[in-house]
Amino acid sequence: MATRAPEMAIGAPALTPERPVTWPKRTRARLSNGLQVVLAEAHSIPKFHGELFFRAGEALVSDRSVGLAEMTSTVLRTGTTKRTSRQIEEDLRRLGADLGASAGQDTSAISFAGLSEFAEPLLQLVNELSRQASFPESEFERERRQKLEEVKLERTSPGFLAGERLRKVLFGAHPYARVSPSEEQVAAYRREDLESVYREIYTPENALLVLVGDFEPQAMLKIAEKIFGDWEGKKPAAKEAPAPPQLRGRRVYLVHNPGSVQTQILAGCHAITRKHPEWIRLGLANSLYGGAFNSRLVMNIREDKGYTYSPRSGVTPLLQHGYFSVSAAVRNDVVAASLTEIFYELDKLRSLPVPAAELADAQNYLTGVFSMGLATQEGLLAQFSTAELHELPEDYLETYRDKVRALTSTDLISTARKYFDSANLQIVVVGDRAQIEEQAGLFGEVEAYDNQGKRISA
Amino acid sequence: MNGLRVVIAPDTIAPVVTVGVYYKIGFRLEPQGRSGFAHLFEHMMFQGSENAPKMQHIKLINSSGGVLNGSTMYDVTNYYEAVPSNALERVLWLEADRMRALKVDEENLINQRDVVKEEVRVNVLNQPYGGFPWLDMPPVAFRNWANAHNFYGDFADLDAASLADVQKFFRTYYVPNNAVLLVLGDVVPQEGLALAEKYFGPIPAGAAPPFADPAEPPQTEERRGHVEEKFGTLPAIAIGYVLPQRRTSEWYAMVLLDQALHGGRAGRIHRELVMEKQIAVEADGGVDDVFGYNGPTQMTTRILHKPEYSAEQTLAAFDAVLHEVQEKGISQEELDQLKVKWRSDYYSTLEGGRGGYMPRYGLMHLLACFTLFDNEPELVNTILEGFLNVTREEIQTVAKKYLRPENRALVFRTPVSKDAKEAA
Repeated sequence: MATRAPEMAIGAPALTPERPVTWPKRTRARLSNGLQVVLAEAHSIPKFHGELFFRAGEALVSDRSVGLAEMTSTVLRTGTTKRTSRQIEEDLRRLGADLGASAGQDTSAISFAGLSEFAEPLLQLVNELSRQASFPESEFERERRQKLEEVKLERTSPGFLAGERLRKVLFGAHPYARVSPSEEQVAAYRREDLESVYREIYTPENALLVLVGDFEPQAMLKIAEKIFGDWEGKKPAAKEAPAPPQLRGRRVYLVHNPGSVQTQILAGCHAITRKHPEWIRLGLANSLYGGAFNSRLVMNIREDKGYTYSPRSGVTPLLQHGYFSVSAAVRNDVVAASLTEIFYELDKLRSLPVPAAELADAQNYLTGVFSMGLATQEGLLAQFSTAELHELPEDYLETYRDKVRALTSTDLISTARKYFDSANLQIVVVGDRAQIEEQAGLFGEVEAYDNQGKRISA
Repeated sequence: MNGLRVVIAPDTIAPVVTVGVYYKIGFRLEPQGRSGFAHLFEHMMFQGSENAPKMQHIKLINSSGGVLNGSTMYDVTNYYEAVPSNALERVLWLEADRMRALKVDEENLINQRDVVKEEVRVNVLNQPYGGFPWLDMPPVAFRNWANAHNFYGDFADLDAASLADVQKFFRTYYVPNNAVLLVLGDVVPQEGLALAEKYFGPIPAGAAPPFADPAEPPQTEERRGHVEEKFGTLPAIAIGYVLPQRRTSEWYAMVLLDQALHGGRAGRIHRELVMEKQIAVEADGGVDDVFGYNGPTQMTTRILHKPEYSAEQTLAAFDAVLHEVQEKGISQEELDQLKVKWRSDYYSTLEGGRGGYMPRYGLMHLLACFTLFDNEPELVNTILEGFLNVTREEIQTVAKKYLRPENRALVFRTPVSKDAKEAA
């Protein structure tokens, strides 16, 4: 609870009438092989940004081994039937281009940006990586050894350890619980495993190509058809995943990180996907709680109490399930005090109506920040991609601001009661056990783990 | 006529306006005995001014639909907002209010000192390789306190900072004649200028701020330092070479040489150490913020290597990469590629620079630095040519002249042994 009443600003000029927010027109098309394409013009710089998404990632294949989809994306840029790894990297530089390949739980993607004058050769390279990656043995072996060092290293990062534990707790037997491979799993990766993931996931019927930038859409669409049109392949069969556990009551999961001079708190509960009709109101509730600099949690535990530098909350919208979480890296001696405030602010939103002025401020914030994405090619690409991948209504971008503005204090209290499930919040703390266990234990029964993920006894 | 410079860069891409105020003071020239003060002070600038008390700065921007932040760099400190363009006047009012009359108290100072300590813990003290190499390198590489001290601040120095220090720093450096105001995006230039005059015009000029000389005594020997890595599992090395004076022909060549060495996965250092010899897990780096500094600085390589290779073996492989450039130079083909990539990167810098939600950050940053360091914001239109005119000969010449042991410093960051950790 804030100890000091906020004062008001004196004489701040009023906002002048708003300028219209107009999203660029999208050209949506399907190539002859089923590949879905979304294009939009944006002439801010003589470049373009693009991303070729495949609608499957770790969750589809992690029952074979954890991290296979990510490893596949890492190795696919190291060689095709036509180019060596070195040629690929030098060709990118020659085209003034950047390229990244990655995989998450729900998608695998090749993202790229380059000069408009070289759009066609860049798309040809993307096409080659998507269809003719050769997974050279020596490149695979190097990347596997790299990955071994990386998985050791990530276990020294408090943020990673907290995120991994929360996922395991929230998702149980569901694939979303599998965040990162063990050393043994990486050691057992085989080149053939990557090739089969590649054949299954990287197909045109499973793909979405989004292009934004300095080009003429119809001309670009013709280029896309010319380059990608003769590619064939079906999408992989969908897989049933076990339901995540229903978690009742608060529990504390302590990850012991010896020598920690700070404690990483991460607490969360199940929520909803982006497609859910209540997504927008949950977004507004989150922005009031801890999703903005001006939010209640930041004002409380940072600006009033100085417990932490960067508290925040958010909703992670995975495709099958979304979850709400709140995080803060706090001083070791205020772990209990911080958790108290984290719960206080959640429960306050669940109990008391949000004052009208505060609601209007939060609505302005969300609607204003939403249109910032208009100003850059990257921002537009992100918005268009999200709308497509999450299968949002076609007018989602155009109607979002009105939907935010229509929300009332009553909507918010019911949203908070539904999704800020404070009684069943699962609490992860990463830090030095001796310094924090007693404090954390005030909030629920403690299960302790070492930084390798093994349960350790009381 | 208070000496505040104003730069307006209009465009009609989106109904969004970016406002920045840059002050020509960073952590390099903060007061001795007050390490970390410039950054702590930056936090204080969000703690209230005469007409906008604590929490109002953040609230006024967020509730206008915008975002805000600030950052402390070597030679400048910036404060910036991106807002829907209907909030332009409000933002200018707010920035002018804190330039004119910062109003903070002891409670604010204690609060932000605590916040800054947690910032240092989350970014440095509680992270694997925290502060490597940006905090580890300066005390090894430099002899002038300005360049060599702990920029985030020793906790004892942060504790010693008083409200009187805050007021003095504000009066000395945060004067309009030591600043530039930038307005970019959806703004009509005459209207932007009129609003700037209305809100900033009445602020009185201050005395010209004193600036300590950041020059370094000549370096005649390779310098080495060692730092313990508390969490990470891999040994790490940082290698920094002092750069030529900015905007000289040597500097343009050095920046492109930096791209030849560190330009992503095609860069020679990553290719050789990570891809070919497979000694390193990470090998990257380069000149950080090429346009944003105005004093001694380095091109720094950061290597995390596999434990089965010694530091000296790793260093030998690194040196071999440099020797090759010194002896053979780079091909015309490679130089042409570097120039295309540099041009492409430059466009992206202008458009964004801090993600999709801080539009025009890069353009703002370049305009501000060219104004404060060179009094020539128009350089943003012409500086690219300097890089595109670099020749192969110039690259080989700077490689020989600057990539010498007597011009470098090394930091070895070595994991404490498992046994030592158990005992501790």
